[in-house]
Amino acid sequence: MTPAPPVERLERIWAPRPGVLGWLTTTDHKRIGLLYFWATLVFFGAGGVEALLIRTQLAQPHNHVLGPNAYDQVFTMHGLTMIFWFIIPMTTGAFGNYLIPLMIGARDLAFPRLNALSFWVFAASGVFLYTGLFLGFGPNAGWFDYVPLASRLYDPGRNIEFYTLGLIFNSIASTLTAANFIVSIFKCRAPGMSFNRIPLFCFAFLAASFGLLFALPALSADLVYLFLDRNVGTHFFDPAHGGATLLWQHLFWFFGHPEVYILIVPAFGIATEIIPAFTQRKMIAFPLVAIAELLVVFIGFGVWAHHMFATGIPTVTLVFFAGASAMVVIPSTIQVFAWSTTIFTGLPRFKTPLLFIVGFILFFVAGGLTGIMFIAIPFDQQMTDTYFVVAHFHYIIFGAAVFPIFGGMYYWFPKVTGRMYFERAGQVSFWIIFAGTNLLFFPMHIVGLLGMPRRVYTYPSGLGWTIYNVLETIGGFVTAAGILLLFGNLVVSYFRGPRAEPDPWHGPTLEWSVPSPPPEYNFAVVPTVSSAYPNWDAADRELDRQRLAAGAGVLDEGPEQVVSSFVDGETQEVVRMPHDSPWPILVALCLSAMFAVLAVEKYTVAAFLGGLLVLTLVGWHAKEPEEA
Amino acid sequence: MSAYGIGAAARGGRERPLGWWGAAMLVATEATLLAVMTATYFYLRFKNVAWPPRGVPVPTLVVPLLVLGLLLAATTPVCLGVRAGRARRRAATCGWLIVALVLQAAYLALQLHQYAHDLRRFAPSGSAYGSIYYTLLGAADAHVAVGLLLTLWLLAKLARGITRYRLNALEAISFYWYAVNALTVVVTLTVLSPAL
Repeated sequence: MTPAPPVERLERIWAPRPGVLGWLTTTDHKRIGLLYFWATLVFFGAGGVEALLIRTQLAQPHNHVLGPNAYDQVFTMHGLTMIFWFIIPMTTGAFGNYLIPLMIGARDLAFPRLNALSFWVFAASGVFLYTGLFLGFGPNAGWFDYVPLASRLYDPGRNIEFYTLGLIFNSIASTLTAANFIVSIFKCRAPGMSFNRIPLFCFAFLAASFGLLFALPALSADLVYLFLDRNVGTHFFDPAHGGATLLWQHLFWFFGHPEVYILIVPAFGIATEIIPAFTQRKMIAFPLVAIAELLVVFIGFGVWAHHMFATGIPTVTLVFFAGASAMVVIPSTIQVFAWSTTIFTGLPRFKTPLLFIVGFILFFVAGGLTGIMFIAIPFDQQMTDTYFVVAHFHYIIFGAAVFPIFGGMYYWFPKVTGRMYFERAGQVSFWIIFAGTNLLFFPMHIVGLLGMPRRVYTYPSGLGWTIYNVLETIGGFVTAAGILLLFGNLVVSYFRGPRAEPDPWHGPTLEWSVPSPPPEYNFAVVPTVSSAYPNWDAADRELDRQRLAAGAGVLDEGPEQVVSSFVDGETQEVVRMPHDSPWPILVALCLSAMFAVLAVEKYTVAAFLGGLLVLTLVGWHAKEPEEA
Repeated sequence: MSAYGIGAAARGGRERPLGWWGAAMLVATEATLLAVMTATYFYLRFKNVAWPPRGVPVPTLVVPLLVLGLLLAATTPVCLGVRAGRARRRAATCGWLIVALVLQAAYLALQLHQYAHDLRRFAPSGSAYGSIYYTLLGAADAHVAVGLLLTLWLLAKLARGITRYRLNALEAISFYWYAVNALTVVVTLTVLSPAL
């Protein structure tokens, strides 16, 4: 069978540059998603090694695998890496980039080159941070980097410069991606995809993107103050000169609490894709779930001081924030009931992806319950800075945020690679990771109640902590083995797995309506949408095939993309998209060079590089799109 | 459009282009940054009994407000430039943008002069007051400087004729200017607040 002529034209128009150059200059959201995926996996590996180093050090009292200085850097880097260089870029960068355009029926994101810039800036920020570590200047004041510990007086090395500049750098990448997602979901939807028909996955990413857009500036301001305090001699955090140490914590947590929801909301989105696919049932309470996803992030902006219950701020303030924090229960519970009721009332097939989602729900409920305990202010004041907190947030961040990432890797593997993974090995990997995670984190509750503080590099024997720490360390290595099995499965499947059909799961959303892996242009014909589960609307998809055969709606006069109206998703115009550009990586290079010289206090060179940055931006905009 | 057979016909040119949405996202995140810095100003202010601290003069009102007036006055030519652009009158568009550019550049130059004047009296490293004073004003004026670069770039583009792409850029950059003007008002009134 020869492909229809319009498809041949599309193949030619959207063909990428060959070889390595093609990857360096790509603006294809799928390729950028894959770049994000691989880069993020490297950081996940680094963060995992750091976690195992921590657990090895703590396996026995008076251990000397790591000294106190190395331990400080390793646990700080573990937190930073897992949050900023693994979970956020894995969910938004990899999953969001690859899937959002496919789900909304678009050929790319609204700003493809900005997307490429986001990736290269992200990659450079990670290299920057780890360069610091290998030079012996890894950040060492904890991921939340409280002053005065992080001030020049108590931390005189260049460690914290790698923290402040690395995170500002990383925030730029996240902000670019967030802005791109918001505009794409608002403006680049397939005809007929009105606001109430946007897949729940995209609602979740919309919520996370808004979170990033409005939370990151607080972090950036805080980081700028700290950089100035340490390098220019300002006094933002210095009470002796009118500054305030708590200012750091207020701004950090004004960012940091929405951040927690930014980590978890994409996981909600992944769950709302996998559950309908494996129960063959539409999500219960669709509008409520969509609103709840947005509401979690919105409320998340009003609860930051619950991280500061032990700082001595007035009780009235504490009570307000405890009440606001309790409100988060409402949208969370709506979602828990919607997920579980959909599973109970559907026809669940417990394949690996759904197993990970069930595990996720269990962890989310368990971690949520310990979270509710922290609302009780006296309990929080007693438990703060103990391993109970570590247990709570690892149940949420590892159990609830990372499990759906693993589930999503299995679920979309056939779509991305065109191969099936091995189901039996997948299920075994789930059970190993599930058992390992519980063994790793559950004893932390107990040892925390027994009074073991977090962030200590070792502890004395005879306090009854040893046995729990041994169990945790065993759990850590079991979890690592399960994760290795997971990736082993995916790697072997990539080469040896059976060929996958376009739609092996009978999935609900548009990505399953295109071949596996999807072609460069995603959709040969612009799909029309009449529900939130368009791949289950057989009549619409049949109509697409007829229109393709008739050559209608193919948009094959250039790299074209539909721009739609904000609410109704009606087609407004057809625009030409940029396609392959060397400028994003050049801009990223200038920017990274600028941050690198800032870290070593070469301000003149930094200004020169800033000028170069402006020139590259002019070059970026030199070639205008052809008038459609 | 109907040749594509994708339902609804294209609307007229009144819908916002993608570039405008991009500018809106930039403004959203930058406005948050300046809001956070403004909040920092008041947080520090309420942590201090003497604000500004002893030895630092209270800011004067008249000159900074007049200088701010220059920046705000540039709003009108920007607005007129956008109208001329929509009517595809290239010379008028460029003319109005140059008028705006002169006013905005004058604002920035006078601000720099003001910094030099202030720095002789109190330094950012003298107290938390000085730290937030210069950081907040500097952050706002950095946005003005970026706006000047954007306008210069736009003028260079428009000098070679009006295209759809350049009109989109005009819409996006004018929106950026309106937002920066509003933010600068908030920031200026904040740093002048001890004198109010």
